[in-house]
Amino acid sequence: MAFVPLPDVVGTSLAGKGMTISETENRALCESVGDVPAADGTAHPVWFYVASQVGMGPSVAEMCAICDFDVNDGPMMASTGGHFHAPLMVGQRYEVTGEITGLTRKQSRKLGVMDLLEYKLHLDLPDGTRVCSVDNAWVLPRGRDDEA
Amino acid sequence: MKPEIGAELAPYRIESVDPDTMKAWAPILRDPNPIHLNRDAVRAAGLGDRRINQGPINLAYIVTMLHRAFPGAFIEDIRNRFTDNAYEGESLEARATVTGAEDVGGRTRITLDFTLNSDERAAVISGSAALLLPETTPS
Repeated sequence: MAFVPLPDVVGTSLAGKGMTISETENRALCESVGDVPAADGTAHPVWFYVASQVGMGPSVAEMCAICDFDVNDGPMMASTGGHFHAPLMVGQRYEVTGEITGLTRKQSRKLGVMDLLEYKLHLDLPDGTRVCSVDNAWVLPRGRDDEA
Repeated sequence: MKPEIGAELAPYRIESVDPDTMKAWAPILRDPNPIHLNRDAVRAAGLGDRRINQGPINLAYIVTMLHRAFPGAFIEDIRNRFTDNAYEGESLEARATVTGAEDVGGRTRITLDFTLNSDERAAVISGSAALLLPETTPS
């Protein structure tokens, strides 16, 4: 049995509904990792990942499905990065745009055959001002040759 | 005062990765991936017997260390590779080393390399960050 063919997904838009970082969730997030919510309304920086991921068009499960991958098979984050032009703020609405930039099949000693999914997202103010750009990569394990 | 290149930040230690934190982050992340919530799902995926911390939590530990070392700093850039999983019950330690420091319009920008290390294994994440330190008030 062969592995599912690598789908042609580069360029797929990930633009979505956007997100507003709530004070309650920011507080919960900060306190869960031993941090203190900023008094000036600045959101925890790791929201670059959370807000862009939550506010993009497809859910994690749907993005996996776009890549012909079942989310129940355990996708794993490979890398993430955020570049900030300004701090993210609690209570501020952010629009999310972006696209899939790569889907590459690789062989892993640990995981067997895997696909590396790469995509870029942006967090913008409603007037279009760019606040943050995000680069993400996920591993989609496909299984071992002797399991396929 | 401008940090010295090569200076190490005070480590931030997590004595035990808490599965309740994973449970709390699942709705924040809107991520139902069962490897963070269900040991059977971890076993089924061939990833061991313990629930796996969501990657952004591991990165947030790094941010906690940076915030404690440089209160009020603006994180301009932060990026990392997830090199291994962090499992429930593990002890972790965030560490960072200053790799650069420069004056930028009266403020100091520093760059750092960081890792989050497991006591049981090697680094679970590694990466770099650039921070703009707050303006200092002349004394």
